[in-house]
Formats: sequence, C-alpha cells, structure tokens
Amino acid sequence: MAKALEAVLFAADLPASVASLAEALEVEEAEIERGLQEFGSRLAETSGLQLVKIAGGYQLCTNPIYARPVAKLLKPQKQRLSRSLLECLAVVAYRQPITLAEIDSVRGVQSDYSIRQLLERRLVREVGRRSTPGRPLLYGTTQQFLHQFAMDDLSQLPVLAEGAQLKNDDLQPMLL
Amino acid sequence: MSSRSKALAEAKISPLGLCAPPPLIIECDAFSGSLSTLFTVVRQHKIDLLGVPLLPICQAYFLYMLEAAGNDLESSATALVALAYLLERKAWLLLPSEAEPEMDAPLEIEPNAYEYEAAIETLQVWQAEREQLFFRSGRESGHYEMPMEIGQITPADLARAFESLLARAQPDLLERLAPPRRSLSEQMGIVFHALSSDAKALDELMVDPFTRNEAVWWFLALLELIRVGQASAEVRDGDVFFSRGKQEPKEPASI
Repeated sequence: MAKALEAVLFAADLPASVASLAEALEVEEAEIERGLQEFGSRLAETSGLQLVKIAGGYQLCTNPIYARPVAKLLKPQKQRLSRSLLECLAVVAYRQPITLAEIDSVRGVQSDYSIRQLLERRLVREVGRRSTPGRPLLYGTTQQFLHQFAMDDLSQLPVLAEGAQLKNDDLQPMLL
Repeated sequence: MSSRSKALAEAKISPLGLCAPPPLIIECDAFSGSLSTLFTVVRQHKIDLLGVPLLPICQAYFLYMLEAAGNDLESSATALVALAYLLERKAWLLLPSEAEPEMDAPLEIEPNAYEYEAAIETLQVWQAEREQLFFRSGRESGHYEMPMEIGQITPADLARAFESLLARAQPDLLERLAPPRRSLSEQMGIVFHALSSDAKALDELMVDPFTRNEAVWWFLALLELIRVGQASAEVRDGDVFFSRGKQEPKEPASI
C-alpha cells in the first residue's frame, strides 16, 4: 500500500484527497488513511521528502531542511505578498464571502488594486453576488490560498485577538 | 512577551497606558483596545465612559496628526469623528442632573484592520515557512504559456514578423474615449477568414491602413489560432508565412 501511495502521490501535481486516493487504488478510505500514516512515517525517517496535508489533500514535498540546495537548483521566483495584500487577504479569509465595499470599510482604504492582485495570483476568487441593490460581487479564498500558506483548511486560520477587553466594571469617574 | 505585546509596550507614551499612533491603541483600567473598538462599545453601552480618560487619547490623536496624519487623511478624519462623539457623550455624562439627550444616529465604524494584526503576522510567518517547501509541480502551466508546439518556427521569428507589422501601423486615434469592445474570438474569426491554404506573409494578409492597436489584435488572434491548431506558420528565406492549419474551427463563432 505504501509503495502504491508513493507512486500515486509522486505523479500527482495537486494535493490528492483521501477519497481520490481510495478511488485510484480501489481500496477503502480507512486503509488509505493507515497507508498514508505509515508512508509519512517512513518518509520522515528515510527520505528527503515529506508527506504534508495541505489544501484538503496530501502531497509530497521536500523536507525544509533541504530547502537551501533545492532553492539553489530551482531558483524560485520570490512571490511574497506585501503587507497591504496580506491585510486584504486576511480580511477576505476571515469574512468571506465579502464585497469589495466591505473590505474597503474594514481596511479604511480602497482595496480594488489589492483585490485585483489577489485575483491574478488566484488567492481569492469571485464566489457569487450579494442579492442587494447593485448585486455586488462576493469574494472568497481559493485552494491556492490554502496551498500558498500551507494550510489544510480555513479552520486552521489563527483565532483573531479580541479588539476590546473590558477589564473592570468598577469604574472611577474621571474628568475629561 | 509576544512581539505584539512588545510593540505595544514600546509604543506607550503615558503612564495612563495610552499608546499611539497608528492605530490609536488605548490601554487603561477600564478598557484595552483600539479607538474604533472603544467607540463601538461606548455606543453599545457596554462600558462606562467615565472610567476612560479622554484627555490622553486626544493628546495621542494630536501626536498622531503631527506625525503621520498626512499619510492617511481618511483614518485621521474617522478618528476625529469618533473622538468628537466620545467627548460629547462624556460631557453629557459629567453634567449633574440633565438626562443625556438622544444623540444623532451615530455612524457605524467597522473594526479596522488592526483587529487582523495577529492574523497578518501569522500569515507572514506561514508564508516564509511555506517558501521552504518545494512541491513537484510548483508551477502550473497556463493555457497561454510558451513553449507550445509551433513547428519549426521560433518565437523570435514570430516577434520579427510582429515588429515588421507594427512598423507599418498607423498611430491610434486618441479622441475616442471609449473604443468599442471586441473579443479575441471575433478577431480570430476575422483572421481565420483572411487565411487560406496558401501561405501568405503578414504584409499580404493585413491590408493598409491599420493602427497599432489593430495590429496587436491581429497578431494576438493569429497566435491564438496557431495555438489551437487553426493556423500554422513557416519560415521561408527569413520571412514568416501563415496559412490555415489542419484543425477546423468547431463553431462558427470561433472562426
């Protein structure tokens, strides 16, 4: 099973879900889960590759220990997002589906450029239209977003800090 | 101490625990959070405003205005509106017996991006970590990505043909504010009809006069036809010739 999984995951260029692996290997999903666990452990001990759960599936990738030589070979183009793009992306991720006007309202600045950039990078996508006057477009995050931030699903997003904490109800009057 | 708490600690400017700017972060016994959050909780009567010292907040706001307001006039104005509201509310509270009148319908201030600060920081970290992972197929091939199979001809040959086409083109007229929209598939139809089984150079295919814009459209459509197999290109004596390809158009609209 582990060898078959290795072959399929090596050939797959996108994260493979347990269901798709089970269909490909014609076995039960539970068996796939066990096989993945076994295969992942074997890789961790003996290989420069590792098995990661990402964007709703499993995929092979290089172990970060060897990131430097791999990067030297591949010379990947840095595509790090600017802070303003990250801010816009965070707002979409937490409040999706969300309209452009709502993003503007939260950020306090116009976000059309940022959204365009995020659409081009396929980190956000149009997910529909709100049934309000003007039928504004709604935006949400994509699988690419999960993949780019090495998340399995949106539930892994960090919990937002509370903006306000009421510390003491026993307040003393104070002049302006 | 987390990086966030450290940043807040460094930004403290008053023993009252007020931090500024930007954004205006308020820390006192009664409240901890941003100005917009304070505004929201005061409006919702979730806090006794008498416990919140407004003078340091005003001082912090003036400092903010002096140091960074020019960078973000909109948020400065929003902060001013919020402060004015808080001051008016507190002023009424301090009056001995008069009942506080109904205020004008206050504006809504949404939580600002400050609330997402922790998430943004985390995403930055994850982004850096993710850069250490390499997947077998990191790059997805786009539909329009070169290289594609175009026979013996090279992109340089095509570029040369395009340059010679552009050299003949007339400049676009600038008077039109909104040029008519056209689709690439329509242009592909025009180009496909201009092509024949006999190979022709671009000079023969495009009849003068034409503008640079039209030349670009023409060439894009030609490239797309080559990509889908409805046109082919060949080089003879250094010149590029185009003819209809083996692939017939599927729908009348695409020809």
